[in-house]
Amino acid sequence: MIAVDIDVKNTRSITLQNRLEDSIKLADFFSDYVKTYKIPDDAYNDLRLVLEEAFINITSYAYDRGDSQTITVDFNNTAGEIRITFNDTGIAFDPLSHTTDNIETADHCEGGMGIHIIRSLTDHQQYHRVGQSNVFTVTKHYTKQNNE
Amino acid sequence: MSLDIVITPEANNGKRISIAGSLDSNTAPELQQSIDDEINDSVNATIIDFKGLDFLSSAGLRVIFKAKKMMDGNGGKFLMVNLQPQIKKVFEIIKALDGMNVFKDQAEMDEYLTAMQDKVKQGE
Repeated sequence: MIAVDIDVKNTRSITLQNRLEDSIKLADFFSDYVKTYKIPDDAYNDLRLVLEEAFINITSYAYDRGDSQTITVDFNNTAGEIRITFNDTGIAFDPLSHTTDNIETADHCEGGMGIHIIRSLTDHQQYHRVGQSNVFTVTKHYTKQNNE
Repeated sequence: MSLDIVITPEANNGKRISIAGSLDSNTAPELQQSIDDEINDSVNATIIDFKGLDFLSSAGLRVIFKAKKMMDGNGGKFLMVNLQPQIKKVFEIIKALDGMNVFKDQAEMDEYLTAMQDKVKQGE
């Protein structure tokens, strides 16, 4: 599968397969994206982790094993705010409903940390089921670099 | 984004696992395999050296905590050293640093280990 990269009004997108190794393509894509839009290192580090956690959530829960599907990730950057939207056609799965209540006492050998990390590192999270698609959006504000 | 793993012996049947690069969903199985191969009941202390690690996800965290659980079960020590700020932040997010032996650098860990050895000697 070849990644699709479009650039319309500060929005760029990548289309991936629902397989673990495509998280590397996503990270590489985002690395180029932050250079283009001069997103500061601390926001980059946070969002790189958010991307990994959200993508792995989708590949792990939204599809039956062996069921090859695509996941599209849209990035939109405007004045100190970056919005990332994950679209997939897997079974209905709301990641926000899978929160670990007491993270400090949770068994960290088990799952449940990913969505806690996503919530902690972003300012806003939203899930919608739209037709046959899961649409999960996260937003993060950042302070623009002085040398822009 | 790969993970480099180097395992070296330490004093008193200890093992140091030095990891560099990215510990994520793709590379976590490699670290799990190395731990399964190298850490057993005869190991008294496991040191995870994060000096070269620049990315850590929840998949990597699970491997780290499984290793800790195993050492706790064996009555051994589990220590972490040289956590870079972005790595320490991940542990802080999940509020997992309380009760763990975490050292900012080798000197601080050596000080702790020396004190532990002195306690053992005094008890002899």
